[in-house]
Amino acid sequence: MSVTTLLAQLQSEWSQWLLPWDALYLKGTLCSILVGLGCGLLGCFVVLRRMALIGDALSHAVLPGVVLAYMVTGDTQPVPLLIGALVSGLVAAVLINLTTRHSRTKEDSSIGIVFTALFALGIVLVSNLPRGTHFDLKCFLWGEPLAVGRSDLTMMAIICGGVLLVVALLYHRLKLVSFDPLVAAAMGISVGAMHYLLMGMLSATVVAGLKTTGVILVVAMVITPASAAYQLTNRFSVMLLLAGVFGMLSAVVGMSVAFVFNASTGPAMVIVATAIFGLSVMLSPSHGLVFDRLRRVRLARHVRGEDVLKAVYRHGPLSSAPEGYLPTLIETLKMPVKQITRTLDRLRREGLVTPSAEALAVTDAGRHHAEQIVRTHRLWETYLAERMGVDPDEVHVEAERLEHAHDLAERLDEVLGRPETDPHGSAIPRS
Amino acid sequence: MNLSVVSESLATDTVSLPPLQARDLTVAYDARPVLRSVSFELEKGHMLGVVGPNGAGKSTMLKALLGLIAPDYGGVRVFGQPVDDVRDRIAYVPQTETVDWDFPVTVAEVVLMGRQPSKGWFGRPTHEDRRLAAEALDRVGMTAFAKRHIRQLSGGQQRRVFLARALCQGADLLLLDEPFAGVDAATEKAIFALIDQMADEGRSLLIVNHDLSILGRFDRVMLLNQRVIAFGAPDDVVTEENLRATYGGRLSLLDEADLTLAQRRNERDHLARTASE
Repeated sequence: MSVTTLLAQLQSEWSQWLLPWDALYLKGTLCSILVGLGCGLLGCFVVLRRMALIGDALSHAVLPGVVLAYMVTGDTQPVPLLIGALVSGLVAAVLINLTTRHSRTKEDSSIGIVFTALFALGIVLVSNLPRGTHFDLKCFLWGEPLAVGRSDLTMMAIICGGVLLVVALLYHRLKLVSFDPLVAAAMGISVGAMHYLLMGMLSATVVAGLKTTGVILVVAMVITPASAAYQLTNRFSVMLLLAGVFGMLSAVVGMSVAFVFNASTGPAMVIVATAIFGLSVMLSPSHGLVFDRLRRVRLARHVRGEDVLKAVYRHGPLSSAPEGYLPTLIETLKMPVKQITRTLDRLRREGLVTPSAEALAVTDAGRHHAEQIVRTHRLWETYLAERMGVDPDEVHVEAERLEHAHDLAERLDEVLGRPETDPHGSAIPRS
Repeated sequence: MNLSVVSESLATDTVSLPPLQARDLTVAYDARPVLRSVSFELEKGHMLGVVGPNGAGKSTMLKALLGLIAPDYGGVRVFGQPVDDVRDRIAYVPQTETVDWDFPVTVAEVVLMGRQPSKGWFGRPTHEDRRLAAEALDRVGMTAFAKRHIRQLSGGQQRRVFLARALCQGADLLLLDEPFAGVDAATEKAIFALIDQMADEGRSLLIVNHDLSILGRFDRVMLLNQRVIAFGAPDDVVTEENLRATYGGRLSLLDEADLTLAQRRNERDHLARTASE
């Protein structure tokens, strides 16, 4: 698909974006939003407790329970299927626990063994369903919002409401158990009960939401929005809130994307959730790529400004014409001409260098600033030579880098006992 | 067991009951014993230092004392009662490596968690809880960090935050797992001042510890290597012979130097004390 046809499709089928809100699909859309909310909230616990693999395991392990419930009732009523799924999920959790405890198998391997085994058992059961019955495996695997009925939506709403209520009521206890299970246990809080409560809520949400995302990808709705939220905040409450919002957003936008690109809804939602995660990684204020890059650019600019100022301070006053001062500055700074002129313009605006009509020199403010840099430079040279045992001939290069950190100059001066001269014998200016 | 009968008859008189009592405590992992028949008693207001080599079962003993793992044999009494009945009087300070310091909570929130056991299932921290937490933070000298995220703390600061959380539990018995591991001298001093203060207030402390040079500062010392090698006042217990039995000749030169210095210091302290008397 070329870019132009892609754009054309986006424009001409504008109405497709609103299709999820059509009466025909509304139930599926609402159900997906609730799945996004519930999974997002519970995902925070899964992510922080490092149980992502368990989330994946649970969603797969419910298959045999669902098929057995279907065999018994001969119907796809949601409540029996949910019960079957919960039993199946619980069996998986217990089996994982037993395998880990009673063999040399480590937990991650136990999880892998148990969930694939149960999933495989489910598939075998599906193939052995009596002829004439219709169990839509594809719907189970990939999700099909059209299949969401009124009873599915009601059940999802009840489960989601329950999750919200439990998380709100047990907020402080859940936070403690997730942060420090050992101390929580020592305090007499039943960590095991909290673990199975979380697992139970997770299985219920995942199962009730199977028709929207399908079993293969539902774990993404648990992990991805919560991980995105984790990038952006240091507060647990904010993380819960953001994860819920991201989950709902992934569902809504994902549904639209599915209609516009004629794709399955589950994968579309996962792609949207992943896009949100990618954005949050880049935009995270504390360790995001964008802000990190910005900080680097700013630092480089700061360093360039000070280097040029120092050169003007040392060689000035120079003739006002660029032909007059540029050769000297290029010689000292080894910087491209363009960068020098641009930095000079900035220094003039900041009032550190005389206006362009006059001879090139530092202003009073510029002199003060330049002396600070020289002072820091010489203090660092002294520190490196005296305290770190660096050869005085080699301290200059390192000091050239460190001189830009003049917030530290005062403390450095104090530590060194306010020396008069640097290792090369030059006087250290007093501030 | 006779012990339970005794404890019932004395239930009203909790003052005379020892804060911590272990009898024949035995724990095995996969039939390999890690703790053999450990018996001891911690008195009220005492600081007990527990030392032993890696794998001596120190952390296992702490967990068994806290009832987090069931002993294969023997039992624990806290204030004369089963651990589960008096959990509100015990505080546990684990090693700081046991938690994820990237978890999205602030310093103040972690300390406030110490108030959680006094609440029910749905309990929320009250104004009073916040005041107690602020007070605890103040006692460990971390008030300035209250609003910081826990990731920004140094190792010593993390330990102080854990201590503050235990403080605000208001417990009478504290079990500390290596509170001095990897902290600088200043922090060690601050932590010691704090636990001295707690002992003066009548609290009892059991401190698992790596550093042999500070054993003289405890009221009681236990040398542990699967079984109790020696237990008693530091002057009687910390001898080269006992330590060799504990560490099985694995005592490094550095440890021996520490020990000699500590013994000399003890002697000097003792002389100073007798002189002043």
